Amino acid sequence: MKESSLIKNVDLFLDDKPSVYALRDRAKKCLFDYGFPTKKNENWKYTDVKEILIRDFDINQKQCDGECCCKNKAEDSYFIEFCFCAGTLHVEDFVLPEGVNVIPLPLMLYEGEYKKYLFNAFDLKKHPFACLNGMYLEQGLCIIVDKGIKVDVPLLIKYKNTKSDNIQMNIHNVVVLEKNANLSIVEEFYSKVDNSYLLNIVNEIYLKENSELNHYKIQKESKKAYHIALNALKIYEKAKYKQYYVSNGAKISRNENEINLEAKDALAEIYSAYKVSKDMLSDITTNVNHNVLETSSNQYAKAVLEDGAKAVFQGKVYIAKDAVKSVGNQLHKALYLDGDAELCCKPQLEIYADDVKCSHGASCGEIDEEQLFYLTSRGIAKDVAVKLITDAHLNEIYSLIEDEVIREKFII
Amino acid sequence: MTTPLLVIKDLHACVGDKEIIKGLSLTINKGEVHAMMGPNGAGKSSLSYVLSGKQGYEVTSGEIVFKGKNLLDMSVEERAREGVFLSLQYPVEIPGVGVSNFLKHSLNAVRKHNGEEELDTINFMKLLRSEANSLGINPEMLKRFVNVGFSGGEKKRFETLQMALLKPSFSILDEIDSGLDIDALKTVSEGVNNLRNEDNAFLLITHYQRLLSYIVPDVVHIFADGKIIKTGDKSLAIELEENGYASFLKED
Repeated sequence: MKESSLIKNVDLFLDDKPSVYALRDRAKKCLFDYGFPTKKNENWKYTDVKEILIRDFDINQKQCDGECCCKNKAEDSYFIEFCFCAGTLHVEDFVLPEGVNVIPLPLMLYEGEYKKYLFNAFDLKKHPFACLNGMYLEQGLCIIVDKGIKVDVPLLIKYKNTKSDNIQMNIHNVVVLEKNANLSIVEEFYSKVDNSYLLNIVNEIYLKENSELNHYKIQKESKKAYHIALNALKIYEKAKYKQYYVSNGAKISRNENEINLEAKDALAEIYSAYKVSKDMLSDITTNVNHNVLETSSNQYAKAVLEDGAKAVFQGKVYIAKDAVKSVGNQLHKALYLDGDAELCCKPQLEIYADDVKCSHGASCGEIDEEQLFYLTSRGIAKDVAVKLITDAHLNEIYSLIEDEVIREKFII
Repeated sequence: MTTPLLVIKDLHACVGDKEIIKGLSLTINKGEVHAMMGPNGAGKSSLSYVLSGKQGYEVTSGEIVFKGKNLLDMSVEERAREGVFLSLQYPVEIPGVGVSNFLKHSLNAVRKHNGEEELDTINFMKLLRSEANSLGINPEMLKRFVNVGFSGGEKKRFETLQMALLKPSFSILDEIDSGLDIDALKTVSEGVNNLRNEDNAFLLITHYQRLLSYIVPDVVHIFADGKIIKTGDKSLAIELEENGYASFLKED
């Protein structure tokens, strides 16, 4: 494969443990065999990562010094909070509700009990950045919710980058909801300074029978950052996954979902709202595999594009031969603030079964002049009026979020 | 003693290549209510857009002086902050923008312009509820999106509510009677009448005399083919109702 300065020689925790070394080596071999994506790769056709591959981002191995926001964490927080500071987990004592187990990744690797959940929800060969992530497998959380446990406090995972510049952070989380369990996870990515870095995250999520996960993702990275994420899921009988994603861009941000509906009545819904401007690129790529009968998926995205930005929306629905009576819908609606922005929308339906319901659609439009006139004719400044209208466009997605505290966090 | 609020002199305006206002002169003094009546397509609504500065309505010659200032130099929002208010014949729906959020932005923009302190949410909501209450507006309406799913009557009542909040010095009411039943017409007219005072003025645009028995005008103009062809007092409206526009158009 082509060389990339992203690949570094570093000593990792537990490299001397053969089973751990083997995992990292598997990812490495895969990356070396298949290489980083180019524009010739159908899945990366519209998102050129060349500019990331030539960057000399160091692997950050510094531990959090504790002089960060975690220090002042309110005790009566609405959430159970975890924090990755510049890519390393800020480890402290956490109090967890009964039936909720949270294990830092190094401990999970050491104990080995949950290792079967690693590299299992997706195919390494198809996900080069997940291979890079796997080579440096060290940071992450493993969250297991026991059978029948309904967690009423949402988990908040913060990924923040305050000081460090020019680093790559590879984070690998595992979430397992056992039968009849419920959980809400909020992931919040942010940077207080305009640094350049790569955040490369993989979430492997396993939803067992009749479990339910609400996954909220708030991406407010630095405008110079690269954010590459893979959410890989296996969803079993009657289990429900709902993802709400909001982003106000990054230099390049890609939120990729690899969803496997593995048993009858499994459901996945992905709702996205994003706003990009200037030289930013936002990519939402979803691949839903309806592997068995009577499974459902829905993808709905709303975008605001301005000032030379680029957006990519790729939604693939695969329906296997036996997956009859499955439902797969996807829809993307964009609002252009000027004619200069670019949107690449690629719906893909691959259907091998009869008797299924699938749909796809895309619309794009400009700000309605009549609405703009109405607001300004009431004394509202033009830029404020434009913001009211674009917020309203995205608000349709936010309004699907029932939890008010979380919904408030989504507003961009 | 009359003080002119709005003075229009020999105004010409067009939309694209088409001339729509063809030499209109009009003076409206403080405390007056003028009615502009005319047949369909005469350019009445266009006049209201020209006055409020809508994009696409281009003034080619003439002048408009409002409170001693050149109105044509101002953007749509500046005109509104100065006190020009256009109640639209068909208020546009804006899904996703909440009524109270919209009104708060609007009122605070006007207050700021007038050198008044902006209202915080609590004080704003108090004011909004009390104004809504006096117009017989259901508080549930304040939780909805701007004009979305409003009935014809609700839309006009909402326009009146905006006037009550913003207290414009010059309001143009474009067919405020359209789509209203008698009861709604009474409520909206009462609302408008309560806002009348010696410092503000109104321009009512209408087809029918009916509205003018609820909001009694001081001056009535007949507007046809882009200009005023006759001006009189309220009896002119009654004459018009009896004889139709045709007789006036012939005179011209």
